[in-house]
Amino acid sequence: MNAVLSPAALRILAAYGAAVLLFVLGALIHPGFASFPSVSAILLIASFVGLVAAGQCFVILIGGIDLSVPWVLNAAAILIATSSLGENSRALYALALTLGMGALAGLANGAAIVWLGVPAVVMTLAMNGIVEGLALGLSGGMTCAACASYAPPLVRAAVHGVFLGVPAALWLWLAVILLVSFVLSFTRFGRATYAIGNNSRAAFLAGVNVSLTTISLYALSGLFAALAGILLVGFGGQASLGMGAPYLFQSIAAVVIGGVSILGGRGHYLGAAAGAVSLTALVSVLLALNMPEYGRSIIYGVVILALLLLYGREQRE
Amino acid sequence: MPRESPDLAPAGAPDDEPAGTRRPRAAHIIGQNIGLILALSILLVSVVVFTGLFAFEQRRLPGNFEITSSVNNTMPLALAASGQTLVVLTRGIDLSVGGVIDLTNALAAIFLAGSVLHMIVVSALILLVGAAAGLLNGLLVGLGRLQPIVVTLATLSIFQGLAIRVLPQPGGSVPTGYTAVLVNPNAPSALLFVGLAVLGWMALRRSRLGVAIFAIGNDEQAAITLGIRAQRTKIIAYTLSGVLYAAGGLFLAASATSGDATTGDVYTLTSIVAVVLGGVSLFGGRGSAIGAIGGAFITTMIVNILFFAHIDPLYQSFYEGLFLVIAVVLGAAVGRLARRAR
Repeated sequence: MNAVLSPAALRILAAYGAAVLLFVLGALIHPGFASFPSVSAILLIASFVGLVAAGQCFVILIGGIDLSVPWVLNAAAILIATSSLGENSRALYALALTLGMGALAGLANGAAIVWLGVPAVVMTLAMNGIVEGLALGLSGGMTCAACASYAPPLVRAAVHGVFLGVPAALWLWLAVILLVSFVLSFTRFGRATYAIGNNSRAAFLAGVNVSLTTISLYALSGLFAALAGILLVGFGGQASLGMGAPYLFQSIAAVVIGGVSILGGRGHYLGAAAGAVSLTALVSVLLALNMPEYGRSIIYGVVILALLLLYGREQRE
Repeated sequence: MPRESPDLAPAGAPDDEPAGTRRPRAAHIIGQNIGLILALSILLVSVVVFTGLFAFEQRRLPGNFEITSSVNNTMPLALAASGQTLVVLTRGIDLSVGGVIDLTNALAAIFLAGSVLHMIVVSALILLVGAAAGLLNGLLVGLGRLQPIVVTLATLSIFQGLAIRVLPQPGGSVPTGYTAVLVNPNAPSALLFVGLAVLGWMALRRSRLGVAIFAIGNDEQAAITLGIRAQRTKIIAYTLSGVLYAAGGLFLAASATSGDATTGDVYTLTSIVAVVLGGVSLFGGRGSAIGAIGGAFITTMIVNILFFAHIDPLYQSFYEGLFLVIAVVLGAAVGRLARRAR
């Protein structure tokens, strides 16, 4: 069967298979789980993880990791609310400012990793603290007058608005999936990403601009985390402290379940997107079973391990 | 700054001396332990800065109370960082630290009670729980051939779930006698445990196991070729670190005198910070648990310094993050200089 499908394609299919299986399982437990409104709601929640996972996927593909996701996301959520003051007239300015902040944090990560030689784990961990301190300090611990602002109606519409029966945020995620997949598969930039992930020295000798590509990838990761933060404020209305915390481990888990090698060089965002859906569907199934929090947490870990043992193992040399 | 002409050495040549020449012994020792020396220097500087600030503010030197509370607050992190060191030395990373500490902390808050003998047995059993948690990680990494970062990400979730099952709401209690033995509030006697950890590390470093841990961290294939059993070494290293996290959980319970199934979460990331500040290479094979313990004390001193410098606590993580980057960049630069100096 490997003659038809490469192992990489099989891993992506496995991630989609897991997602479908979970929806079927959910429908068996709870009639209506696989109904259109329910699926659409689950996918909407998955889209936030999926967007963060897009950035995480980029940096993991080059063998890096982005631990600064939680507070870049959270700071973006605070910034979009405080800079727009909930007014449409200021929405574009606020969007540019917020996305720029995310990209800048990512850019600083990439620059320090490339030019100062700081390990990615350390740099992005430190950046998480730096952004956290700034977000908390500048907002006075979310006590500032503007901190209670709601997302501008434009941003709320970008999440809750319905187009052809599907929430707008899902269309946005679909666009991101298509765009990221296109970039990874069909552009020079994508080729360079895989080349660096497989062997950065060989990529350098082959004429790939390793520094610039690496920095761009980290900037993209910051950008996607900020985008997810904006949409989360659009989804929930207001920003809150700690809202980014779940997204670090979920984004990494989604990427890994999607068949992307944590060592870099192998995998695709198509898989990571399916991983995000699987994770969210799993939590929804467990909620449908009235599983208490501890059980969800344990099963969550066991399922990730099971999937890893199934197809995440290193090849024996 | 004088630099040797780079033309003399071919590009990419290793830093090693040409055969036949030897460095002076002192230079060799410094070169081999540069990470540890840097960590202890940073610790010394931070202690001096803190003492200066404290003396300026309070018109007296830090006394028994300040030293005792600093030591007691650092104990859980010092132990967690020692465990993390063992894993990082094998070129792994352990994200499940927080989960193991959550679980053992919750168990301690529930079961520590009664007679001295009972508490000793419970403590030993809790250390065993830590060992089992580490063993699970080790088996998955060693035999399962899975990447440490994703394995421990998954087991973190499992251990956190178990901790919440054990102690759904913060509560439980730890007898005052137990607290007095582990984290005596009246004198920095917990330093004895630090001393024990350091002695344990020095013994491990010289044992077959210690050599094997360093060997697989430096070059796993070469180590296997030389007859080192990499799988077994990794499994033991993860198990030992599980025991150390559990000890951290016991100390956390002792100083909080009650339990909470989520207070341990922070130790996943702070143990990595302490290890990095302690000069342990995240690429494996280089570093020392002594450095990591020093790193743990550095993080405590930084919090103390920020407090006495009247930095708004909201900005605390900003300065900590900035300090981490600066320390790592400077450390790498000094390390390069030291290796270049003959």
